[in-house]
Amino acid sequence: MALKALDIYKLLPKKNCKECGVPTCLTFAMKLASGKADIELCPYLDETAKSVLGASTRPPIRLVKVGVGERSFRVGDEFVFYRHEKTFYHQPAILFRISDLWDEATITGVVHEVGDFKLTRVGQDLLLNGVAIANDSGDPAAFGRAVAVVEANADLPEVLIADDPAALEAGLAHCGTFRPLLDGATEANAEAVCALAKKHGAPLVVRAPDFEPLVALVQRCIALGVPDLVLDLDAPTPAEFVERSSAVRQLAIARAVPELGYPVYYDCSRAGALAPDALALGILKFGSVLVAGPLSRPQTIAALTLRQNIYTDPQKPIQMTPGLYRIGNPGPESPVLMTVNFSLTFFTLQGYLESTRIPCYMLIVDTEGQSVLTAVAAGKLSETVVADAIRKFEVGDVVAHRKLIIPGYASPLSGAIEDATKWTVMVGPRDAADIGAFLETEWKG
Amino acid sequence: MAYAPPADWSGTIGLVQIGSTKAEGGTRTISYRIGGNGGLPFIEPNGGLTRPLVAYELCDDPAYWSPLVLERLGATTADLASWARAAGAELGADLVRLYLTSTKRRGFDDFDAIGTAVRTALGATDLPLIVEGPNEPSIESEAFRRIGEAGEGERLLLGTAEAARYRSVAAAALAYHHAVIAQSPIDVNLAKQLNILLREIGVPHEQIVIDPYTGALGYGFEYSYSAMERIRYAALKGDADLAMPMISSAVDSLTIKEVRDAPPGEAHRTAVAWEVTTGLAAAVAGAAIVCVRHPDSVAPLKAALTATWGSA
Repeated sequence: MALKALDIYKLLPKKNCKECGVPTCLTFAMKLASGKADIELCPYLDETAKSVLGASTRPPIRLVKVGVGERSFRVGDEFVFYRHEKTFYHQPAILFRISDLWDEATITGVVHEVGDFKLTRVGQDLLLNGVAIANDSGDPAAFGRAVAVVEANADLPEVLIADDPAALEAGLAHCGTFRPLLDGATEANAEAVCALAKKHGAPLVVRAPDFEPLVALVQRCIALGVPDLVLDLDAPTPAEFVERSSAVRQLAIARAVPELGYPVYYDCSRAGALAPDALALGILKFGSVLVAGPLSRPQTIAALTLRQNIYTDPQKPIQMTPGLYRIGNPGPESPVLMTVNFSLTFFTLQGYLESTRIPCYMLIVDTEGQSVLTAVAAGKLSETVVADAIRKFEVGDVVAHRKLIIPGYASPLSGAIEDATKWTVMVGPRDAADIGAFLETEWKG
Repeated sequence: MAYAPPADWSGTIGLVQIGSTKAEGGTRTISYRIGGNGGLPFIEPNGGLTRPLVAYELCDDPAYWSPLVLERLGATTADLASWARAAGAELGADLVRLYLTSTKRRGFDDFDAIGTAVRTALGATDLPLIVEGPNEPSIESEAFRRIGEAGEGERLLLGTAEAARYRSVAAAALAYHHAVIAQSPIDVNLAKQLNILLREIGVPHEQIVIDPYTGALGYGFEYSYSAMERIRYAALKGDADLAMPMISSAVDSLTIKEVRDAPPGEAHRTAVAWEVTTGLAAAVAGAAIVCVRHPDSVAPLKAALTATWGSA
């Protein structure tokens, strides 16, 4: 049961020493209550207070770091079941699976593919997160060789997939200091695998076929000194993954079962031909470390775009910088199309404008990232905003004409904009998809 | 699951009939009852009762359609009957969605052709039919009357009612006993408002399918996904004005930049990856019907949904 900030405050030293990094004990209590601070930051707590607070103030899902350096990733530390309740914080890592049965050239190829892949969308770089090396051969020496090839080629986070502790040990010989995720501990091998994870300070996947044995195994691994755990729910089908993962998320954020308060792992390659679908379900339904066989480029960009969508903070619209943007090589007679600085509006319209092959200008005005419909309703898009933008970006100096095309949904403002700007307003289509036809008939015609 | 948390729902999604078999007064070989969910898919036993359906979208005037589809299907798209037949027989869609794009032509007034197109599609396929009428106010009253009439007895799903224009399509649905798609711009409150408007002019809940509008993946899909989750959540919490099944169609998927600018040979596969990913995600958020346009999208999307839900 979560404690309220005031209940926590009563247990704090009330020194306001600031050593935890916030100005007062009350602020610290509020951060603890919302799961935003670690109890260990307070140097003056006695053991009793720590044990009372520890269980109920740690984030409901533990933050686990995999890898080191620039490409390392953190997963977990989530608070909600629905993204609209707040947001999802740490997007799932997507790693390509490499088999130790492959030859060196094939392994090298996939490692470079993962390392070099970059998709820039809406101003963000979307990356693949690392590689998972699987001990398909059953031979520890072959596994060690495969890990060595990966290490020689890139500085990427790794998952080591092997049931045999000897194989994990052979892999760790090459990457043990780089915080690889070990996959993993089962009822059968927990002692040996936990010893390896503890020795290397590595995070560990814990796998069991049902919740009771999983909880028992988590308790065992913690007792063996491995705190950074990731849960493999061992789902035989994508549907069962969704069912189990949803239940784990609900129980974890309710703090009902502390042993389930860890990020979730899913090896999508177990779904065979349905791996891309399993990956999408993993992204949608609370997966945090997702392994898939090398995917085609179309499948990869669809998955990364889905991940970007689902992990976009619904509280903050993505905004574009207001300004005058050029499509093609526009001249003084080219059309000027005004719209809002909501990035999706921008990129959608930009896409359709590019495909018309008619050079033009996009005048992006500041509506604080709201869409046209919302901005008109909320008064964020007004004749003043438009007039200011025309003046500020000196649109009158760039084009010789005085005609402004506005979005269809902004038509209620057309008269007011004409009055405020003295420009002739043309009301464009409501749907960006129709902009090409509009320019052909209304602008050229 | 041993630890499955208790559900706290008081609402159930209503059932909407699409299509009408001979026994029901129509000529379809199958009809569907979509909806009926009493919980969230997967987590609760009655959450996702049946596999969401895959609708294949086509049109009566391919000049307004994606070149990818035309390229892939060739001459088939020039003949509505062949296209509609292929949707079920070759592609394996669960139902067909006919867009009457011919009504987009300037000065359109050939209302007989609309009725003919609906009858042609109904004659060519024995699957239930969704018909998407015009969105031009000056012709919609007559157009929807003709559509409704041509499909009488077949329990069509008619599109699309919006807050600013819902009377013509609703009138056709009421007069000829069809169901209606109610589309609102990605907002749970606007969806509810439109359903109330429809209720007030006499359209019962069991004739409404909610379309919360689906932005393409990477182009607003996250808003649609959350809108669908919120609508489903509110309905299960007992809001009867949102307790209808949902339809999702990411109509821009084939025209987005990722598809247009795809490296040579990858445009089709990118379009399919986009449609399948979006369709699966919309189904997870609660959609009962997901729509695609690329012919190669139907089979993999159906396979993904079947693997997740079991067969329909």
